[in-house]
Amino acid sequence: MGKRDLFTLEIIANNLMVTTEEMFYAFARTAKSPVIYEVLDFAVGMTDAEGNLIAQAPGVPGFSGVLDFVARKVLKKWGSDLHPGDVIVDNVPYDAGTHLNDVTLAMPMFYRDELIGIILSKGHWSEVGGAAFGSWNPNATEVYQEGLIMPCVKLYDAGKLNKDVLEMILSNSRLPEYTKGDIEAQVASMRVAMKRVYRLIEKYGIDNVLRAMRKLIEDGEKYAYQKLKELPKGEFEAEDYIDAALAGTDKPVYVRVKVKITDEKFIADFTGSDPQVNISINSPFPATVSGVREVYMAVTDPHAYPSGGFFKPLEVIAPEGTIFNPKPPAPTSTYWESMAFASDLVWKALAPHVPEKLTAGHFLSIIATIVGGIDDRTGEPFAIVEPQPGGWGAGYDMDGTSGLVAIGDGDTYIASSEVYEKNFPILVERYMLNTEDGTGHGKYRGGFGVIREYRILNSKAIVTIQVGRRDFPPWGVAGGMPGPGNRVPLL
Amino acid sequence: MHIRLGVDIGGAFTDLVAFIEETGEIIWVKGETTPLNLAEGVINVVKKSKVNLEKVTMFIHGQTLVINSIVTRDGAKVGLLTTKGHRDVLILQRANRRDMYNLRYRKPEPFVPRYLTLEVEERIDGTGNIITKLNKESVVKALNKLLKEGVESICIGFLNSYLNPVHEKEAKKIVLEELKKRGLNIPVTISSEVTREWREYERINTAVLNAFVKPKMKEYLSVLEKEVTKLGFKGKFLTVLSNGGMASFDFAKELPIYTIESGPVAGVMGAVAIAELIGERNIIALDGGSTTTKASLVEDLKPKVTSDYYVGRDRFNPGYPVKVPTIEIAEVGNGGTSIAWIDSVGNLRVGPKAAGAYPGPACYGKGGQEPTVTDAYAVNGLINPNYLLGGEMRIYRDLAVKVIKEKIADYYNISVEEAADAIVMIANENAANAIRIISVQKGYDPRDFALIAYGGSGPMFAPFIAEELEIKKIIIPSVPPGVFSAWGMLLMDIRHDTIISNVMKVEEGNLDKINEVFREVDERLYEIFREEEGIPPENIIIFHYADMRYKGQEHTVKVPVKTGTIAAKDLPEIIARFHEYHEHAYSFKLLDSPVEIVNFHGVGIARVVKPKLKEIEKIDGRLDDAVKEERRIFIKGRELVVPVYDRVKIPREVEGYGPAIIEDPTSTVLVLEGQRFLRDKYGNIIIGFKS
Repeated sequence: MGKRDLFTLEIIANNLMVTTEEMFYAFARTAKSPVIYEVLDFAVGMTDAEGNLIAQAPGVPGFSGVLDFVARKVLKKWGSDLHPGDVIVDNVPYDAGTHLNDVTLAMPMFYRDELIGIILSKGHWSEVGGAAFGSWNPNATEVYQEGLIMPCVKLYDAGKLNKDVLEMILSNSRLPEYTKGDIEAQVASMRVAMKRVYRLIEKYGIDNVLRAMRKLIEDGEKYAYQKLKELPKGEFEAEDYIDAALAGTDKPVYVRVKVKITDEKFIADFTGSDPQVNISINSPFPATVSGVREVYMAVTDPHAYPSGGFFKPLEVIAPEGTIFNPKPPAPTSTYWESMAFASDLVWKALAPHVPEKLTAGHFLSIIATIVGGIDDRTGEPFAIVEPQPGGWGAGYDMDGTSGLVAIGDGDTYIASSEVYEKNFPILVERYMLNTEDGTGHGKYRGGFGVIREYRILNSKAIVTIQVGRRDFPPWGVAGGMPGPGNRVPLL
Repeated sequence: MHIRLGVDIGGAFTDLVAFIEETGEIIWVKGETTPLNLAEGVINVVKKSKVNLEKVTMFIHGQTLVINSIVTRDGAKVGLLTTKGHRDVLILQRANRRDMYNLRYRKPEPFVPRYLTLEVEERIDGTGNIITKLNKESVVKALNKLLKEGVESICIGFLNSYLNPVHEKEAKKIVLEELKKRGLNIPVTISSEVTREWREYERINTAVLNAFVKPKMKEYLSVLEKEVTKLGFKGKFLTVLSNGGMASFDFAKELPIYTIESGPVAGVMGAVAIAELIGERNIIALDGGSTTTKASLVEDLKPKVTSDYYVGRDRFNPGYPVKVPTIEIAEVGNGGTSIAWIDSVGNLRVGPKAAGAYPGPACYGKGGQEPTVTDAYAVNGLINPNYLLGGEMRIYRDLAVKVIKEKIADYYNISVEEAADAIVMIANENAANAIRIISVQKGYDPRDFALIAYGGSGPMFAPFIAEELEIKKIIIPSVPPGVFSAWGMLLMDIRHDTIISNVMKVEEGNLDKINEVFREVDERLYEIFREEEGIPPENIIIFHYADMRYKGQEHTVKVPVKTGTIAAKDLPEIIARFHEYHEHAYSFKLLDSPVEIVNFHGVGIARVVKPKLKEIEKIDGRLDDAVKEERRIFIKGRELVVPVYDRVKIPREVEGYGPAIIEDPTSTVLVLEGQRFLRDKYGNIIIGFKS
């Protein structure tokens, strides 16, 4: 390969990354559900013909590791039955997903007769049916109560829409118009990406494009090994408990990890963690992997380009039937609370050893909050759905950050009190740092959590809050004390 | 004779452009920026220009004091009064983790520390009603505490003041009285005077930044007024606002935050003026600066003015929100002094680090030790060693060769020309990709736009970008690219924007309320024009916009609506227009969904007669006569010998073909193979593609 080709490959590789970004914005811009275009609760990417991630653009960190699972599942199930113009739809949590709301579309890319890659787009659909509106069902005991399962079936077959499948999907949604709009936007944005890849092939030739794809994976791998070298080697362990109330169990759920780092491997082994539970917080294996990938990124390079190569040294072990790898028909619609523990355990195990990358623990729970009812003033329904911010741990050279969303959230905005007071019958009495426990102790203090006090001005409202880390508070490091647990007093 | 002066302070240079109204003649002068005493650099260029200040009618100024003061955190010690229960608004911000894989994430440091943020007893609810009256004692008590701490500027930001500013106004009055009693002259900023938009963090932060820069800006503008007046100036002092208009110095002393982007927006306004002159309506204004390249998409000759602006925001930093009307400008890539480097896995990268003015590229001979984009140009013959900065600065090609060889070429074991070529290609690719993304994000196709390129490196980047993005037309203005922003200042109107948030459904029952808010917007505009500009209502043209959305959505779309009272019969048209704009921006419409107005946006404009570009003389003669030399260049992996045209000798409207270089002492334009060019009647170089 000539030296000049090297720069050409670099330019093609850059274009593939930008293509992914373009697909991301095209979907964000055209989707019909606010959860897509405002919360950016989706991820797009592409893999090579073997299902190795070439490039991805996640809108939330929890989506950093789920696309390649779908690609490999599609290849395994459909193999030689894939054709140009196919679009496959999948939302099965256990082997390729998170919860039923997160639906992945996969579009194989062909050059002449040869499969060259798969374009993927996974988005949070507002509605996939099930017992509860929004398909978010903390009381579910089986996945069947959480919505429609779409088991890696063809939505488009060789370019032809499979109307029956679509009709079945739409008939199971309480918001069929939104679902239809989102599917159309998702497919259209994937086609934008495919077109751009074909243009690159036209301009630079198929061989160069395939080489650039490989290069992205190889560069990622090379970089990962460089970064692994900088990490301490050995075995690091951590254990914790998920609150019984959150898990719907008699006693708290025991979770543990053993992290093993060598020059070639980064292994997170969750063996020994408790079995899956009968409530919706189970974290499907791909979600568990995502959770680990977040911390893997944090300790290697938070700004690294996350390709399949970059994640290659990472191995996650979680025995089937446990909270981190549940078997069907375990419910998973609020999987994020356990997934956060997968991140947190790895973080906790490594925090004392990688202080320049990790702080002490944080409040962890998304604290998903719903306040809803019928507005007395207008007779119209209203609903606040939000995560809560909290305190983050101190570092070896810094105070902890105060009032920040949890690890499961990323560039997620907490709503303005003024917007709430205008739109909803509530008054935000207090939204401030929680300094009740004093201003912190030790050389560097943990970040302050927040007090968020709502006065409901309506005659009636329903409040649903799923809160973790109440009984088992955030952990300290290097002699630091634990932080206070999360609380939801109703006055 | 009447003269108009535009003076623009940039990082390295302070530029002056004088326009003589009677003859259409333009004079320009460049001088060094004097960071320690900015006024000195301004006075220096004014003197250097030898313009008779007694003949100058307008002194139009764009400065970087406000943005620099914020970026370097060199401003006043500010004290903040907030609503009880909401003291931590500046610390909480929006609680987002923009750098999402960084588990040691730190938020931007607030501009007022917690101990200088004090609560006051008062409360207005989400409908604008007072539920707790302002407690005067609590204001005085908090003020005393702040004064004891030695604050130099005071900011007041209460919850829901966007709906009802009465408590903020009352508190301001109390504070001013107390300050007067104590014989103190400390400026007071209240959030509702800075903006009436909702979202407390964004509004209060904007007000805090205003308070932070206010004492310094006030001082600076006063000194400048005094010094320029001393030189005989009797005209009107005007400053460039971020909205692409001008305002009096008095306005800028009160609300300096409104001038935060004054340099870059002037360039966009210049580009718009050129587009209008030559009949283009949709343009991408491309400003190739020293450290970054900026781009602004302008549709139908109207720059997009929104208050969605942040200081210091990037991929990993949320930055600080500044809710003042600002022309949308995006940073799209590398500048002329961006540094090339090799990453740990052996890929060549360009930027984001830049050599800036000091030490600058290696070829400047000022000690720069890193290879930059400009060095790559010098190595490959794309810039004329004798010409940079009007021939005032020499280029040392050998230094560029050395640094590119050692830092890049040797690593890859390639020739220095190949290495320089790769740097140029990667820098261009970065910019092209970034423009693609900003277009897609807003629902535009770059192919529908013409590219107007200015700034030091804009004319160099543009032909590559156009090729990559299939843009059909490039315009390189005849105004020297280095003083383009200063020139753009001469093409502005006096303009003020007022935005008031107040969410309501667009329906007949709300007509009175809708008209009432727009009336409030207009009154505010008339008041600003009357008090700050001395311009009566009859000389002001007002435009109305509404930021609208489907009920339940968060994001809005700006829609022009009729000025004057809206009647029931106008509503269907307004709603229809919203559907249309929404579909353009987001590709769908929800015809059955209720529609809301969120922000009422009024634009007041007092027109100023604009200078016209003079037509250039018709030169008889052939294109070949303009060739001053043939030069060996290296580009896209090939060595070529190309003609170098002397720009001012190119005959009018005669077509030439690339590959070619067009030069004048202030800029270089590269025309690629497959592109054609001509010099239009105003002296602009227009580049297109051979069909």
